[in-house]
Amino acid sequence: MYTCGVDVGSVSTEIVLLNSKNNKIESYVIASTGSDSKNAARAAFENSLGRAGIKSNEIKTIVATGYGRVNVPFADKNITEISCHGRGAASLFPDLKTVIDIGGQDSKIIKLEDGNPVDFLMNDKCAAGTGRFLEVMAGALEVDLEEFATIFINTDEKVDITSTCTVFAESEIVSLIGHGVDKNKIIKGLIYSITDRIISMVERVGLEEPVCMTGGVAKNLGVVKAMEEKLGTKIYIPDEPQITGALGAAYLARKID
Amino acid sequence: MSIKDSVKTSIKRNLSQRYIKRLLGIISAKPLLYAYGSTFQSAADKYLNIFTIESLKKAYSDNNRPVGYGSIFLPYELFHALGITPLLPEVMAGFMAALELAPRTLEEASSNWYPRDLCTFHRSVSGAIELDLLPEPDFIITTNLACDAAQKSFYIDSIKYNIENNFYMIDVPYHFSKRSLSYLTGQIKKVYYDICSKTGAEPDPDRFKEVIKLSNEFRKWAIKVNNLRKVIADYPPYYNGLNFILPFHGLAGTREAVTLYRKMYEEFKEYPNKKDTSGGPAGDKLDKEKNIKRILWLHLKPYYRNEIFDILNSENCRVVFEEMNYVYWPELDPERPFESAAKKMLSHFLAGSIERRVSMILKSAKEYKADGAILFSHWGCRQSNGGARIIKDSLKKINIPTLILDGDCVDKNNSSQGQIKTRLQGFIEILKS
Repeated sequence: MYTCGVDVGSVSTEIVLLNSKNNKIESYVIASTGSDSKNAARAAFENSLGRAGIKSNEIKTIVATGYGRVNVPFADKNITEISCHGRGAASLFPDLKTVIDIGGQDSKIIKLEDGNPVDFLMNDKCAAGTGRFLEVMAGALEVDLEEFATIFINTDEKVDITSTCTVFAESEIVSLIGHGVDKNKIIKGLIYSITDRIISMVERVGLEEPVCMTGGVAKNLGVVKAMEEKLGTKIYIPDEPQITGALGAAYLARKID
Repeated sequence: MSIKDSVKTSIKRNLSQRYIKRLLGIISAKPLLYAYGSTFQSAADKYLNIFTIESLKKAYSDNNRPVGYGSIFLPYELFHALGITPLLPEVMAGFMAALELAPRTLEEASSNWYPRDLCTFHRSVSGAIELDLLPEPDFIITTNLACDAAQKSFYIDSIKYNIENNFYMIDVPYHFSKRSLSYLTGQIKKVYYDICSKTGAEPDPDRFKEVIKLSNEFRKWAIKVNNLRKVIADYPPYYNGLNFILPFHGLAGTREAVTLYRKMYEEFKEYPNKKDTSGGPAGDKLDKEKNIKRILWLHLKPYYRNEIFDILNSENCRVVFEEMNYVYWPELDPERPFESAAKKMLSHFLAGSIERRVSMILKSAKEYKADGAILFSHWGCRQSNGGARIIKDSLKKINIPTLILDGDCVDKNNSSQGQIKTRLQGFIEILKS
């Protein structure tokens, strides 16, 4: 028998099909959410079934999470991304104490005890410091987001980005480019500006090791390196950090009759 | 359309003081008032709402003078001893939020240079004053107890109404001592006699004594209500302790407050028994059976339509106590009314160090057997938000998790309902895990 986790985020939708007997991930899908989250979730679910060669009636329970969790009609239950990311990360790194999750528009810090969330903090009012922020900045700089990590590692100096607001930060970058400032230094500054925002959230909750980072931004090794440098600790990254919420949802689905 | 929705729609369409007066005149007519009252399922809520309409009508009436504005942390026994009809602008901001008028009043305040980081209770009131929606006051009394925005914005309001000479700011000392009690008593006495001389009223210490006696009576019933809440978690439908800010503060010293809290006590006492079909004792037994999660609520709530309490109820979580309903003052001495009013102010858990508030919260968490605490962090309210970390850490030491829920009590556009829902549900999941 299998369980399924559906994580409907602002930017992407992830599906994980989990084998209840051996904890094997039978298949996973990462798809764009787009403007119709309901259909995106349904299409991703069908896709994941096809990939795994599993029929929908073999799925015992489906749990939806993420901001679009209430809009997944085929789910049996919805659980917040706080519990799902916590559970998903704990399933990958059993002794984990802190999860830093940076998604498309949310960033959150989850504190774990014995694999269960005991406290959390989320960004609000502003999506600066999230995946969407990085995407907009990469667009303004006309640099591929994938290149950020290499640039971060190979660049010594940074230029401070003082604007918090995504729109103002974009203008600031355009203005810096106009003044002939090296793009690489701007990228290094951008990564530090994101890191500083996240670090202040980590400190509010209280850093406890080991630490893991999940969500799409965890794929950006520049951000991970900067975070490790500032926190002074190693940060564990799942093989596919983007599916951690869906994985946690699939694990939590087992508990539902 | 319900009476409440009709009132909301018609005020929004005809936003003026003249129309509000007319509407209060219509709705306070006995048959309509009772029809309106019947829309409330809780007897305490019904009494509160009927009384609120009657007292608003009084405050808006041209024939009823003097009217005094007062900030929330004052001893309202002073107003009732002076025969001043109190109007609590902060409570009015709550009403305006509920009536969906706040977007308009806040917009007006913003157009008149009231800064965005000023608490929206005060900003909304200032906007309403700019729009001439509130009855003109004869006096404004405020205090520096806890709230920094009230003393400043109320002073600006006094300039607007051209009553700067009738503006009083009561300075509450940081520490409770004999000297500070005497200093504060002196100020209250001065305000009392100054207002008497301005209104031409004969000072009536006997009336003040009677008011203090009624205040003690109200206190007695409020304590009885609170003691009952320590053992029950099942309330009449739609009861919300955060709806009783006006009577708890503004009606202290009146017969109405006594009646209201007595009714509330009787209703609470009866309610679980009514629901317990086995005929056995209710209270703890019911709590256990239903596995209710008991929540201690800190600070206020959003007063516009929101999902917070529906989510809590649907998840079997009950707010078992609100810090705003904590009876913080001792029984007062009717023979020393001025000193009693001063003692009440100095006893407030928000006066002085944060340690006083923390100690009250820890005591309440234990007494009300809280499983978790929610601090609604109202935008711009420094006196409440400033202590959030210390409160959260202190509750953690006694194994009570705390959710700091960022939001706005008045401005629905200043927080996202979706984000609030996720935080709230995430916290509930932690409580249940």
